[in-house]
Amino acid sequence: MGKDGFEITVNIVKMFVIFLMMVQAVPILVWLERRGSAFIQNRTGPNRVGPLGLVQLLADAVKFLFKQPFVPEKGVAPLYYFAPVMALIPGALALNSIPLSVPIKIEPFEMLGRMFGPYTFLFQGYDMGIGIVFILGISSLGVYAILLAGWGSSNKYSLMGAVRGAAQGISYELALSLALVGILMVYGTLSFKEIVDAQQGTLTFMAFGKEHALPFLPNWGIFYQPLGALIFFAATFAEANRLPFDLPEAEGELVAGFHTEYGGFNLLLFYIGEYGHMMVASALLATFYFGGYNIPGTTPEEVLAFWQVKMGVGNLAAILTAVSFHLSLLVRIALFLWIFIHVRWTLPRFRYDQLMSLGWKTMLPWALANVVVTAVWLWLGHKV
Amino acid sequence: MTMDSALFFFLAAVTIISALTVILQSNPIFCALALAMTMISVAGLFASMNAWFVAGVQLIVYAGAVMVLFVMVLMLFDLKDEVRAFSRGLVSGFLKIASVAVIGGVIAAAVWMSAETLFSSTANVAQMSGTASTKALADLLFKKYLFSFEAMGALLLIIAIGAVALSRIEGGTHAD
Repeated sequence: MGKDGFEITVNIVKMFVIFLMMVQAVPILVWLERRGSAFIQNRTGPNRVGPLGLVQLLADAVKFLFKQPFVPEKGVAPLYYFAPVMALIPGALALNSIPLSVPIKIEPFEMLGRMFGPYTFLFQGYDMGIGIVFILGISSLGVYAILLAGWGSSNKYSLMGAVRGAAQGISYELALSLALVGILMVYGTLSFKEIVDAQQGTLTFMAFGKEHALPFLPNWGIFYQPLGALIFFAATFAEANRLPFDLPEAEGELVAGFHTEYGGFNLLLFYIGEYGHMMVASALLATFYFGGYNIPGTTPEEVLAFWQVKMGVGNLAAILTAVSFHLSLLVRIALFLWIFIHVRWTLPRFRYDQLMSLGWKTMLPWALANVVVTAVWLWLGHKV
Repeated sequence: MTMDSALFFFLAAVTIISALTVILQSNPIFCALALAMTMISVAGLFASMNAWFVAGVQLIVYAGAVMVLFVMVLMLFDLKDEVRAFSRGLVSGFLKIASVAVIGGVIAAAVWMSAETLFSSTANVAQMSGTASTKALADLLFKKYLFSFEAMGALLLIIAIGAVALSRIEGGTHAD
């Protein structure tokens, strides 16, 4: 955790801040979702409370918080109450393990008459070292929230939604993992930091023993793994239970699916979990395929030198560098989140058999083919 | 007590309590969830020993896929007949005693065979990063133990084919 009290405190506070970041982004996303859906469907959307309806979220939150909590008569209370909490855990753990910016190097400084430092703070909750495997392991636990909610509320619609959710989660996890195997083979590492570092600079690749360079393109993963990126993106929709893969809550058939019996704050926790999954998916998509927090055309050293010229050499320049790179990642996350929302209001829902055949008969074979083609390409690339 | 040993004792306690819950609870759903909890805490134990990849795979395969399927199937089916079939009778009584003996033997053998390393200090074991230890594991699996690894794969394939063949018999596993 750290050498002294200051470092330990900062590292613990960091985890809470990242968790709160996830929770705090939810009202903005809900507003974006409601106004965006209204925009797409030629409606106005919520526009009465505050400018552009921005304060509507506050009114919603108050309504959610003051609703009377209850358990269905035949429900299983422990499972019923644990399910919404379980919906938050995987998202929070996963978001904390993704590097959100360059590490901050803090020089020794004086505070309250004592000398502190030097420190290196990672701009992430914790560095697991096995980033990809950790993310896959944690995200596979997300299904339990749906299963527990479905069983705990002892309602047939909920149970049907839960069983659909479990089957869908397992099916699409395979395609998702196999898409990431391609990334694993290209970069040869499990650590997010090393994957992001490998995407700096301009596009250079090995083919038939010779190095080719395309200086007008950034060195992003999507140029090495276009099919993998597409499969990963589609599978994350299924993992986050978003349209067109929202069969667990299909409101046309199952009332509201696994959260039929939920209301008030417990329902809100499910929403936070869903938007948390979207945020993790967007951050992962950016990290694996769109250069992570890198800014195309520049390096962390150059940005640090720029801020040192502007602000003087010191800790402020290091912090501003990290913030610049963090903003660069946030732009990507915001863009992908908007795509998530736009797709939800543009595409219709799959039928259940279509969903299963897409997962097992289309995405899984293509992901396997992607692995094989990547392996052959890497073998050819380094063959002289 | 250091942080590491405190973590170990906490995870060990969670593992044992949830494993006991699996056999002491009568509700199959709670049993399955307790088994999932056991898997997760075993993954935590692996992680506390720096076996990061094994911990991750434990989460993905057992806690994520296998137990989710268990829970899903338990929720879908009424298991009363199976409960009766396995809770009385001479044959199942013999099976119970036999399985206790097998488990006891496995535990005794594990303690006996690891007695040398059990009480030796592990402080001098080199710390490897997640990627490096995964590479070392892959080297062992795909070079030294390649045959046993592939044999295990073939065994699992045979089991899968057997399950499909069984399910295609008229009446499934309940055929007279």
